[in-house]
Amino acid sequence: MNRVASDRGLDRLTLGLLVAGFGVLAVGLYYALAAPPDVTQGYLVRIMYLHVGAAWTAYLAFFVAMGYAVAYLWKQEDRYDRLSAASAELGVIFTALTLLSGMLWGRPTWGVYWTWEPRLTTTAILFVFYIGYFLLRQAIEDPEFRAKAAAAAAILGVINVPISYMSVRWWRSLHQTQSIDLTTGRVSMDEAMLVALLVNFAAFNLLYLAFLRFKGVVSALEAQREELDG
Amino acid sequence: MRRVWALAARDLKLELRGRAGLLAAFFFIGVVVFILGFALGPNQAELRRAGPGVWWVALAFAGSLLASRAWALEVENDTLDDLLLTPGSREWIYWGKFLFLWALMMGVGGVTLLLVAGMFFLPLTRAPELLLTLLLGGTGYAAIAVFYAGLVVRLRARDVLLPLLVFPLVVPVVLGAVKATLGVVNGAEMAEVAFWWRLLGVFDVVYLTACSLLFPWVIEG
Repeated sequence: MNRVASDRGLDRLTLGLLVAGFGVLAVGLYYALAAPPDVTQGYLVRIMYLHVGAAWTAYLAFFVAMGYAVAYLWKQEDRYDRLSAASAELGVIFTALTLLSGMLWGRPTWGVYWTWEPRLTTTAILFVFYIGYFLLRQAIEDPEFRAKAAAAAAILGVINVPISYMSVRWWRSLHQTQSIDLTTGRVSMDEAMLVALLVNFAAFNLLYLAFLRFKGVVSALEAQREELDG
Repeated sequence: MRRVWALAARDLKLELRGRAGLLAAFFFIGVVVFILGFALGPNQAELRRAGPGVWWVALAFAGSLLASRAWALEVENDTLDDLLLTPGSREWIYWGKFLFLWALMMGVGGVTLLLVAGMFFLPLTRAPELLLTLLLGGTGYAAIAVFYAGLVVRLRARDVLLPLLVFPLVVPVVLGAVKATLGVVNGAEMAEVAFWWRLLGVFDVVYLTACSLLFPWVIEG
């Protein structure tokens, strides 16, 4: 994927994904604002369209980071390490977005920005863990060892993702249960809302792919420069 | 298998002879339990409610001290490379170190339980259940802690990094252990406690499998 980085800058696919991502996001925002208000939550439900997409993308990013980490340990190619780190970074950003949008929603709904409730706690743990992941990367100078240690962390960290996903069910918590349950495939929401949710969902996934490629290109350039400097 | 025992037994012997790490851990636990008891007391009912949390918090902090002990001796004596150069797969090194930390956790955990029970009025009538919780919780904790301690042992910032990496991963284990202990102490129904035990058991299996499989790939000669 990073072969594109060498001298031509961004490749077409990355640019296309970026454009498509932002385009679909605009459509998604329109749908989100046009969707009917919720019976119990009113207009506040609109935060969900961003919140769910961001949360899902964060989960996806951590799983992709794990996938590339496994690929790195297998093949020992630097670009897998770079992509794993890039995906983890996106995961951290989307987790932050999830937490932030959740807090903005929680204040008017639950009356507090933050509560020590299983879903929130496990998400915060996930966030802290991947911050630790980047501290680990910073602390190791030898590139090969850094890649190996980071790969191990990326693989172990992903164990937190299903825990976070299932926490609303296991602990019968305050947080809403899943509207689209991945374990049974049941959907529990209005059609207009579902459309808005899915379009935003697609936008976030496209943006994730675009940013991942973008970040891969950038870190390949960084690695090249490091090599030249060293 | 024999190598695993030999490695764990050697480390335990050295640790018990040297005592520096164990003493530090006990002293640390003593201070934590004492301060928390002082801060939360003297109401008996409140202390009893806080007891399980205090037990596991003290154990989790002390555990990270002990985990770095598992590898510190190898680095101090420059024997880590010899260990890594032994022929065959490297998983057994992980298992040996895990067994070492696990044995220490069980010992230290038991003593801490007595201390906490004394100062926080925890009833010890259901000791077998408490020990089972210690067994399940300690296993998950040791699996993660010893893995990361091995990973960062050669880094300068290891003492700062280790808790940072270990705690987010062991929080589910500590949460489960605290809930199980609370259930046992408060005399909750067996089914509720068993749920947490099952969860802890699943964590133990997942963490142990993942760590022992990953270990040969990431340990550096």
